[in-house]
Amino acid sequence: MTRHRSLAIGLLAAAGALASASTALSQATKVPGVIQEGNYDPGNLGMSMQPAPRNDDAGAVYAVGAWPTYTPPLVDGDGKALVQSFCGICHSTTYITMQPPLPGATWEHLVDKMIGTFGAPIPEPAAQAIIAYLKSHYTPETRKE
Amino acid sequence: MRRLSRRSLLALLGSGAAGLVFGGRADAQVTPPGARALPSFTGPGPNPYWNGINPFVIYPQKLPLLRMTDRGIQLETPRPYFLTPFTPNAAFYVRYHLDLIPNAVDLSTWRLSVEGNVERPLRLGFDELVKKYKAVSVAAVNQCSGNSRSRFQPRVPGAQWGNGGMGNARWTGVRLRELLASAGIKSGTVQLQFQGLDRGPGPEGKGADAVMKSLDLMDPALDDALVAYLMNDEPLPMLNGFPVRLVVPGKFGVYWTKHLTWIRALTSEDTSYWMASAYRIPDTPTANTTPAAAASGTLKTVPIGHVRMPVRSFIVVPDGSSKLPSGLPVRVQGIAFSGDGPVVKVEFSEDDGRSWVEATLGADHGPYSFRTWEHIWKPSRPGKHVIAVRATDVQGNVQPDAPVWNPGGYLWNRIEREALIVGAAS
Repeated sequence: MTRHRSLAIGLLAAAGALASASTALSQATKVPGVIQEGNYDPGNLGMSMQPAPRNDDAGAVYAVGAWPTYTPPLVDGDGKALVQSFCGICHSTTYITMQPPLPGATWEHLVDKMIGTFGAPIPEPAAQAIIAYLKSHYTPETRKE
Repeated sequence: MRRLSRRSLLALLGSGAAGLVFGGRADAQVTPPGARALPSFTGPGPNPYWNGINPFVIYPQKLPLLRMTDRGIQLETPRPYFLTPFTPNAAFYVRYHLDLIPNAVDLSTWRLSVEGNVERPLRLGFDELVKKYKAVSVAAVNQCSGNSRSRFQPRVPGAQWGNGGMGNARWTGVRLRELLASAGIKSGTVQLQFQGLDRGPGPEGKGADAVMKSLDLMDPALDDALVAYLMNDEPLPMLNGFPVRLVVPGKFGVYWTKHLTWIRALTSEDTSYWMASAYRIPDTPTANTTPAAAASGTLKTVPIGHVRMPVRSFIVVPDGSSKLPSGLPVRVQGIAFSGDGPVVKVEFSEDDGRSWVEATLGADHGPYSFRTWEHIWKPSRPGKHVIAVRATDVQGNVQPDAPVWNPGGYLWNRIEREALIVGAAS
C-alpha cells in the first residue's frame, strides 16, 4: 500500500516536471532538429470499437450480425424523397453518390435501365422527377458534394 | 452550413459534435486526425488515387475496408494489404450485385445441387462435399472485371473501384470436373450455369432477383476450377461466399459465384440478363473501343468470360504518403499477376517509364497467384519523381502504357505509376 502510494506520488512529480518543461517552449526548440512537438488533436473522431467474439452454439447454423449501412445523405432538392423511396427498393442511394458526376443523358439511361431492364416499379411521373433530381445535382455541371 | 434534420443532428452529436466543423459533409463521416480527408467524389476526370475515395467502414468478419456501397455491399481492399502475396480473408474485397445477402446459413439444410442435363442429379451436403471428394488447393487471384474502373476517361457508371477490387488466396475444395463426372454430364450440354444464395427483391427473371453466370462446358478454365470451402485455410467469410464458392483461376471474379448452390447443365446457351446483357466486352483486341462506337449500337460484344484477366502489376509501397529523404535506399514493393499464365518479368522505372530495369521477383506460388516483386531504388535528386512498374507474362503479354476504354469499364491494365516527393537530406 505504502509502496503504491509513493509510486503514485513519484508519477505525479514526473508529470509535473514534464508539464513545466513543455511550457518552457524555448527549452523544447533546443532539441536538435525538432520543429514541432506535442501537437495533439482533441477528440475521439474516427474511433470504432472492436467487435467482441461471438458466442455461437455448436449447431449447424453459421451466422453473422446485421449488415451495417453507411448511406451518405443526398443533396436536398425536389424529388429527393422519390429517389430515396423508389431507388431504395433494391439498393441504397449510395449507388448514386458513389458515381462520378455523370452526364444527364447517362442518368436518364440508368433510370430507364432500372425500370425497363430490371423491372423497377416506378410510375412515369416519378421516373421523370427522379431523372430531373439526378440532373439537378449529380452531373459534371451541377454536382457540389 | 447545410441544414440538418433533427435525426442527423442527433447522429452527429452521438459521433462527436466536432463533426459539425465540416459543415459541407453533414453525414456521420469524420476526417482522419492530423490529416485532410479525400474528397467525397472524383470526376469528371479520372480518380487519381490508388484506391477509390470511399471511407473506412467495419463489416462482420472484416477489418476496416473502403465502403463503396452499403446495400448491396461492395467493399474495396485498402492498398497496404497487397504487401503480401496472400490477401487476408478479413481484408479481402467484397462485391455483390443484389442486396439480399445471407446473414445466416444452416448447413443441416443447405445442399449443393448439380442438376439439369445430367445422368444423376446431385444434392450434396457440406460434409459430403468435404469428405467424399478429394481436396485440392490452388493459389489464385480473384479480380473484379471493373477493377480500376475509376481510371476511365470519359468516366463510365458502375462500381468506382480504385485498384483494390482484387485479392489473392489459397483456395481449397473439390474439383468442379470431379463433381460433374459424379453427376454424369449428358451429351448435348453446352454450358454450365452457376447460381448462389444471394438474391434481390426485383421481379423474377429480369436480373434483379438473382445473378446467374455460365461458362462453356469445354472451357479449359473449368479444368482448374474448384468448388472451394476453404480460403487461406479458413472457412470463407460470409461476405466472400460461405459456405462454398466457385473458383475459376484466370477468369474475372464475376464467374466465381459466391454461396454456390446450383450448378446446372444447360443444353442451349444461357440467354439470361447476366450473360446476354451484362458483363460484355467489345470483340476487339484488348476490348478497346470509343464512346462513339459504343453509342452507335453496332458494336459486336462477347461475354467477359471469353477472355482471361490481362497482365497487371502494382506499386504498393512507397505510396506517396511520406516524403522520402534523398540518398536513402527505398525498398519499392508490389505485386503482379496475369490470368494468362505466370508473370515472368516485372520491370521498374525511376523516370516515368522512359527507361526500365528488371525488378526482383518474390516466391512463386503458382501461375494464378499474386507474385510479389521488389526493387531497391536510391533517389539522389530532391524533387518530384514518378516511378512506374510493368509486368510481362509467359505468353509475352506486356502491360500497355495506353488506357483502355469500353462502356462497361472493364479490363484496365495500364502501366501503374506513383508520384513521390524526395526531400533534401541536409
